[in-house]
Amino acid sequence: MDFIITKEQQRMQKAAREFLKAKYPSDFVREMEQDEKGFTTKLWRKMNELDWMALTVPEAYDGVGGGLLDLVLLLEEMGRACVLGPFFSTVVLGAFSIAEYGSETQKQAFLPKIANGKIRLTLALTEPETTRYDPMTVSTTARPHGENYRINGTKLFVQNASTADTLICAACTADQVSDKNGITLFLVDAKSSGIRMTPLKAIGGEKLYEVIFTDVDVPGDRILGRLNGGEAQLKNILDYAAICKCAEMVGGAEKVLEMAADYARERRQFGKPIGSFQSIQHHCANMLILLEGSRYITYKAAWMLENEGGDSREVAIAKAWVSDAYKKITALGHQVQGGAAFMEEHDMQLFSRRSAEAAVTFGDSAYHRNRIACSLGL
Amino acid sequence: MDFGYTPEEIEYREKLSAFLDKEMTEEIARQNWEDLGVGPEAREFSRKLAAFGFLGMSWPKEYGGQGLSQTYDFILLDELGKRWGAHVPLDVGYTMVGPTILRRGSEAIKKEFIPQIIEGEIEFCLGYTEPDAGSDLASLRMEAVEDGDDYIINGQKTFNTECHYSEYHWLAARTDLNPESPKHRSITMFIVDMNSPGITVRPMMTMSGEQTNEVFYDNVRVPKNRIVGEPNKGFYYVMEALASERNQVFIPARLMPILNELIQYVKETKHNGNPLAADPLTRDRLAQAAIELEVAGVLADHSRWLESNGMPLPYEAEVTKIFISEAEQRLANAGMEILGLYSQLLEGSKYVPIRGRISWEWLHSFMTTLGGGTSEVGRSVIAQRGLGLPRSF
Repeated sequence: MDFIITKEQQRMQKAAREFLKAKYPSDFVREMEQDEKGFTTKLWRKMNELDWMALTVPEAYDGVGGGLLDLVLLLEEMGRACVLGPFFSTVVLGAFSIAEYGSETQKQAFLPKIANGKIRLTLALTEPETTRYDPMTVSTTARPHGENYRINGTKLFVQNASTADTLICAACTADQVSDKNGITLFLVDAKSSGIRMTPLKAIGGEKLYEVIFTDVDVPGDRILGRLNGGEAQLKNILDYAAICKCAEMVGGAEKVLEMAADYARERRQFGKPIGSFQSIQHHCANMLILLEGSRYITYKAAWMLENEGGDSREVAIAKAWVSDAYKKITALGHQVQGGAAFMEEHDMQLFSRRSAEAAVTFGDSAYHRNRIACSLGL
Repeated sequence: MDFGYTPEEIEYREKLSAFLDKEMTEEIARQNWEDLGVGPEAREFSRKLAAFGFLGMSWPKEYGGQGLSQTYDFILLDELGKRWGAHVPLDVGYTMVGPTILRRGSEAIKKEFIPQIIEGEIEFCLGYTEPDAGSDLASLRMEAVEDGDDYIINGQKTFNTECHYSEYHWLAARTDLNPESPKHRSITMFIVDMNSPGITVRPMMTMSGEQTNEVFYDNVRVPKNRIVGEPNKGFYYVMEALASERNQVFIPARLMPILNELIQYVKETKHNGNPLAADPLTRDRLAQAAIELEVAGVLADHSRWLESNGMPLPYEAEVTKIFISEAEQRLANAGMEILGLYSQLLEGSKYVPIRGRISWEWLHSFMTTLGGGTSEVGRSVIAQRGLGLPRSF
């Protein structure tokens, strides 16, 4: 048992916090929420100079070769700063999927470019018929068509689709649509003809898209991993992504608690700081209890994912707990900071809106509780 | 970061598990935990634990321990907890008094008491709370007045659990009676032989059938060499031991058997022809309980890790204590709702489900957010020490 993070991780965390404090203030968050792309080329280049895109790419492909815990710590910092844009979709969804399931040729084609900030990726998975999160229901089809596969279908909630160079698209390659054993992942060039993207207007400011595939031809060598092997691959990709989302939430929650505690110490009413009133103290203590649990369950799930051969139950526990906890923390943050924090100019609302997005992304708490119930033998 | 255990720790856990599976009956576990009193079976079990080398792993070698990491003692508590046991049979001595003696006691006191604690032979009961000193412990009124080589003690304690079977009272009494003296700097810790003339123990029964006690001191004579540490520093000794006590008393593993029984029950019980395990609400409840147990586990791991490595833990053990105690109440409540009409049946009744363990646990769980400090005091401590908010009391 050891809760210490390495010197190197501490350095990275500190550098990230300082960089984001300087280059990603809340005014910039607001700007990026309005911005169509959700990032600037200048910022992307700077993030790349800090080796963030390379962090988890293996050294053999120009990466830094860091692990999930390194990424978790970086994403915490991004969560603190409410960072938007294609880092998450490129590094978490893209780099991991290719490093894990790509052929040697695919790895060489994609990973060094990801590590050098030259390309962006995303995952096109969820479909309109899944009214609740259900990642393994895939009715988008990919039918053999000469040397190619021809993809038809509609994908929803695709993160940063408009700025992605490659879409990892889950499609059904079995005869029977919605057969879980017939899901295949394809690396689809985002510029292929037949792809149409429509932005969705989302509560957290994330750039989410509907992506419609109409007779999109993809060469057969662009299958990622095994033909019809998508279910198992997706399970691992989504576990990894869920933990990364938890890390963002932990960072955001930490920042919210800092804001609330600062306010409680400074704001005076009835001649005293409101933080000397027990009702306010108990709100703040509740936030800290929720935060500490969220942090350590995220670390443990990440550690188990890397060291104990992929423990899905721990991931489900973490995502269920942290999703609920982050929403509770932001609600308490509002309560402590009163009317001022209800205002658009106040930073509090950036986090509460983000908590609504994060809670439902990669499975909400009810979805994960059902997974846990299954693992308990129920 | 590392959430694993060393090969030695894993081996110890296996050895211990095998021992407990063989030696620890439900009766012993309940004598252990329900505080009806440690009876002959639990006393015998305590000696066996010691004889097989499971007590004192993390205690100093010079007093009979093995000088290893505290992780071993936490493994012991977890394995007992998984079997309804929750703590070693004579746990006040082992988890609360012993560590303070090691930190603050004179050499003579250490030599006299520590080996007996590690051998599982003696038990202490805490003598802190009084009718007018609960959360505000420093305002306690029991008085100890010097008289030659002794102190003469008078006053009343309440909620002193374990006093009806302990050998010693771990007593906080006021020794500086000057009303001008700060109240938290005038309290001394004594070790009092429970057979001393002038002590009267009166049982108080809780709503869940446990025995705690009122204790009356009428001119009880205690030798000066039974003072622990320095006079008038007792309140600080109590406070500095709190985090460690929380770590060793609030054991997430203790909730596991409750959850496991409920899981078993919903698999075997049908409603309208379908197993309860298929009911979405029941599934959600039990999954939430499993989540909370795991979160309680990482919180405990963290504060235990701080303690085992000698790092300060100004608020972390309080976080763990509040979380576990409230998770226990939620679990008990979920259990009662799952059992429905049958939840009201008590042990021994016809038709009682799960041997009455859930209804007992529900009754018991009201205590968990009170005993050892209320959740309200705890939350203010967290806000003040963890977040730097101003003092509210």
